[in-house]
Amino acid sequence: MRVFLITGANGGLGRAIARAFLAEAETNQVWLGVRSQRADAEALAAEFPGRAHLVTLDVTDRSAWDATVTTIREAHGRLDVLVNNAGRHEDSLLATMPPTAWSGVLAANLDAVFHGCQAVLPTMIGQRAGRIVNVASISALLAPAGQANYAAAKAGVVALTQSLAKEVARIGITVNALCPGYIETEALAGMAPERRTAALAQVPMRRFGRAEEVAAAVRFLASAEAAYITGAVLKIDGGIL
Amino acid sequence: MNSEPLRPELLAELKALLVETLMLQTPAAEIADDQPLFGPGGLGLDSVDALQLVVALDKNYGLKLTDAEAAKGVLQSVAAMAAAVAKKSA
Repeated sequence: MRVFLITGANGGLGRAIARAFLAEAETNQVWLGVRSQRADAEALAAEFPGRAHLVTLDVTDRSAWDATVTTIREAHGRLDVLVNNAGRHEDSLLATMPPTAWSGVLAANLDAVFHGCQAVLPTMIGQRAGRIVNVASISALLAPAGQANYAAAKAGVVALTQSLAKEVARIGITVNALCPGYIETEALAGMAPERRTAALAQVPMRRFGRAEEVAAAVRFLASAEAAYITGAVLKIDGGIL
Repeated sequence: MNSEPLRPELLAELKALLVETLMLQTPAAEIADDQPLFGPGGLGLDSVDALQLVVALDKNYGLKLTDAEAAKGVLQSVAAMAAAVAKKSA
């Protein structure tokens, strides 16, 4: 049995990652971290009774993290994989960016990863095994105009990943980051057609990525086959960068 | 510090825990009770080893070292660890 926790599990990417783990082995137990929007995650959990579990987790709240880890440990006695997938953006030019857009995006994308890693580490250190996969963004590397907050937060996630990877490498815990580009999820579906066309023009593959294509990489990094990979930053962007 | 003499079984148990948790090359029997765990002349442990010891002491003895100063005091030697464990279970 392997036990997984995925944050932001109500979104398209979170659900695809959960499905990848649920499909991997019938013994896998997958915890879906959600907040107020949870209908899609509930539908997924209903498909896999006894194997997929919903847990209310505001990733910016440290006490919620501790409670979640306690719940999972009480249920299974272990936690093997954490996928920090939750995130949000609030784009604007820095000159006019409301300070709340700065602090909120940093809290949701970067502070949350710190809290999550710190909350699961005692369990993983005790097991002398664990996998942490942090979903960053190609914005961490591209630093696009209008995303100073999001790009800084995701670049922070990349640096946190590489630093933590060195700290826990010899304990059998790997920490890796993914940098997805444009992926067909709710966020992209809501984009205006002209912006969609402009975005597509940036992608050498001339198509957007599928959530399943990101999930496959997450599943690999969480697998035994990836045991020697740590501190890696994997772009999944159709060749943008 | 505990004024009671430290139980040899507890000292041996902690040395075994040290070797197993940190995958040390030094046999448990060769670790002296008061040998420093860190620094020159000691076992040569580092901060990552300390992190693992903190988790192992909590897991095995319910001893919670929540702040750095407390951890520093307890993780000086096997004898200091044994005293803290004995004090907790007294």
